[in-house]
Amino acid sequence: MGTVLSGLGLVKKYASATALAGVDVEVGERESLAIMGPSGSGKSTLLHTLAGIIRPDEGQVLLRGERIDHWGENRLSALRRGRFGFVFQSGQLLPELPAEENIALPLMLEGVPRKQAVARARRWFGPLGLEGLEQRRPGQLSGGQAQRVAIARALVADPDVVFADEPTGALDQSTGEEVVRLLTFVTREQGACLVMVTHDADVAAHCDRILQVRDGRVQGHSQYTAAP
Amino acid sequence: MPSLLPLTWHLARRSGRRGLQSHLLAAGAAAVSALVLLALTAAWLGAGARADRTDWRTPHPDRHGTAIQALATTFVRGEAVTVVNLAHLPGHRATPAPPGVAGFPKPGQVYLSPALAELVHELPANQLADRFPKPSAYGTVGDAGLAAPDELLAVIGRAPADPAVSKAAGEATLDTGLTDRAVVSDFSGTTPNAFTAQDKDGMLLGVGLLVVPVIVLATAAGRLGAARREQRLAALRLAGATPRQILAMTGAEAAAVGAAGAATGALAYGALLPALARLPYGIGTWFAGDLWVGLPALLAVVAGVALLTALSAVSALREVVRSPLGVAQQSDPRRTRMIRLALFVGLVLYVVTTARGGGLRTPQIVALLILFYGAFWIVGPWAVDRLGRIMGRFARRPATLLAARRLSDDPRGAWRTVSGLVLAGFVAGFFSVAQLSFSGFTYPHQVAVPAPAGTHTSVTVRETADRARELLKEAGVPATVQVRTGDRADESPLLSNPGVTARISGGPAGLDTAVTVLAPLNPAAPAYTDKAFNAVDDLATGELRSLSLATMAVSFLVATASAGLSAAANVLDRRRVYGRLRLAGTPLRVLDRARVRETVVPLVLLAGTMTGCGVYGAMQLNKAGGTTINTAGALQLGVCVVLGAGAMFAAIGASRPLLRAVTVNPAQQPD
Repeated sequence: MGTVLSGLGLVKKYASATALAGVDVEVGERESLAIMGPSGSGKSTLLHTLAGIIRPDEGQVLLRGERIDHWGENRLSALRRGRFGFVFQSGQLLPELPAEENIALPLMLEGVPRKQAVARARRWFGPLGLEGLEQRRPGQLSGGQAQRVAIARALVADPDVVFADEPTGALDQSTGEEVVRLLTFVTREQGACLVMVTHDADVAAHCDRILQVRDGRVQGHSQYTAAP
Repeated sequence: MPSLLPLTWHLARRSGRRGLQSHLLAAGAAAVSALVLLALTAAWLGAGARADRTDWRTPHPDRHGTAIQALATTFVRGEAVTVVNLAHLPGHRATPAPPGVAGFPKPGQVYLSPALAELVHELPANQLADRFPKPSAYGTVGDAGLAAPDELLAVIGRAPADPAVSKAAGEATLDTGLTDRAVVSDFSGTTPNAFTAQDKDGMLLGVGLLVVPVIVLATAAGRLGAARREQRLAALRLAGATPRQILAMTGAEAAAVGAAGAATGALAYGALLPALARLPYGIGTWFAGDLWVGLPALLAVVAGVALLTALSAVSALREVVRSPLGVAQQSDPRRTRMIRLALFVGLVLYVVTTARGGGLRTPQIVALLILFYGAFWIVGPWAVDRLGRIMGRFARRPATLLAARRLSDDPRGAWRTVSGLVLAGFVAGFFSVAQLSFSGFTYPHQVAVPAPAGTHTSVTVRETADRARELLKEAGVPATVQVRTGDRADESPLLSNPGVTARISGGPAGLDTAVTVLAPLNPAAPAYTDKAFNAVDDLATGELRSLSLATMAVSFLVATASAGLSAAANVLDRRRVYGRLRLAGTPLRVLDRARVRETVVPLVLLAGTMTGCGVYGAMQLNKAGGTTINTAGALQLGVCVVLGAGAMFAAIGASRPLLRAVTVNPAQQPD
């Protein structure tokens, strides 16, 4: 399995705290990786560093072998837009856009004509169980439905990597379970790899691997043979 | 209910840096609103006060009077000098002193306003001082007798037989209100001087045009941070707070912020009072006391702005009160109804029909203007909603789509952002053609001396002409003197009266010298220039010009402040979504373009329409008044459009750093 994304010796310091103290991490083709750790452990910082949102003080981030951590902001923005997808806990959908336009937005930002972008967005409604909700605005969707729309938006542009930051944090347990199953399955189906931050061991168990982070250091790996 | 106040205070304090920013912006908007409202009230009341202080100069006839009062007007360097001639009638009881004068002037005594005294000392005697008697010392007319600190006024004591107080003096063929005469017993007149009579109405027009944009600004203050507040209070509602409690908490918080801002505006008004008093309008600058609105009015404005802010904030929460889940999840699009269009059409038809009837007084015109504003206020959100839907249908680029969806998602909010400038567009359009040109009599470089009453023979008029030539020659003023029989009314400032005219070379100094040296030829109706016909109209035109410039400047400033505040508030309210979009790689320029388009598109459409309405309204007013339109207004309109567009871009641009700041790196946290 080839490496898609890797972080080597990542160090990130804030004024009074060291968020990452030399972290090494790799994610392979179609692999899903859960990053776990207590609050303040540096797990979100690691995700943001791998996604090119935060620049590390030391170390390197490589995407398919190419170093990206020293890229300029415009290039990184384009990378995040085109080759990465994001699912956050909540609030990533534009409240005034209907679901189909929320999903189509990354394509339109890449220059795909609106009709084509919306048509491609509509293809996601069936597989994600969102039929009939194309014209609903985020506020008219349930939490689980909104997260499925967010998953579709993260995947619509065929990214290499999907980053998910506590994607089930705002959902009840059964909805969270359903959403994370869908997220890992669809990501794999699309040929993308998944990097997910969570504090929930049940959620993490859906991933191929779990990376335990504490005080900015990797404490250990767990390997699953297959997602449940 | 009082138990809610500590909780409200606690929540406001805990609202964080962004909450504090919202509060500061809201207080700033309330401060500007209060300042402008106080300045408007001051100008309106002040114009009335200074006009009232000129009442005493227009004689109030009394058959049993004790003195003769004759009002005259002369001009120096093109400026009007009001002359009040007074003669005590022998055998009658004493007449009280006129306002601002130490005592009733005895024959030969001259009291001058400070500004006129300065001119008298500055100019050669044969240009001004020789028009008046020569006392050993001039008295001073105090503030109580003056409309403005720089007004030119003389009060002159005369003998009862002096031609300056004769019947002929009151009947001089000058413009209405410049001469008058009556037997009086005191100075309790009620008719203001011709130069101040229209000031209050003019100011009322300005107030009418400006009050709505100011209210828009105060309303914007109330809605700043609305989304943040909605989320917080929706959560409280979900936690069991009653609608009444929610409204009370919101009202208390917004009223406190509004009151603090308005009080700051009131302090600024007090501090700026001396500077405001130095702004010339009409006959001159102002006494600071005239611009002091008084404590009750000041408190009323502060309370009014605070109340407006609170009402605006409370009305923004209707959705929370109705459905807490609705706002917590932002589920309901804020649609507008067709009834708005119907109301708009009805109101505009009423305004146009009423205006067409003509014969309107200024308060009625102002009421119609406010009604007209109201009509646009009602239809604005509906128009924005429809515009958003049409844009959304045809949008190809993400920024346009985002802008379109935002417009139809919250048309009232989008309308609030642009409404100030849309209404300012009306003001600009209105005043672009409201620059009246009075086609008065113009006889440049001519001085007229009417033939004294009872001497209208060709011989005596010729003698007067000979004497005029001698006097002008002695004074060194090159002139061509002509005898006028009055047969051709259009050829000289004498109109159809017989007399003498002198065509003067030598500029304003030559004219003033001629007027001065020729004055003795007819003491009852001293020499004059065409200023005597045009001065009041010229002043009115100048006032309208000042008023239009001031109104446009203030309305554009207020509107820009409204637009800037709303744009900043929108960024703060939407910072979370913006931040997420930026994290996901959405370029800042797309977010920025969407912001610009959601403002500029409705602005161009609605401001364009409103400017056209302003032009049409002013043309109708001009038509009703029988005045011609000064086409230079088109240039002014062009300048306003450019300035307005620049102001809007500047207002939106001002919140661009804020957008960058809230989206730069929302992931800056150690976890």
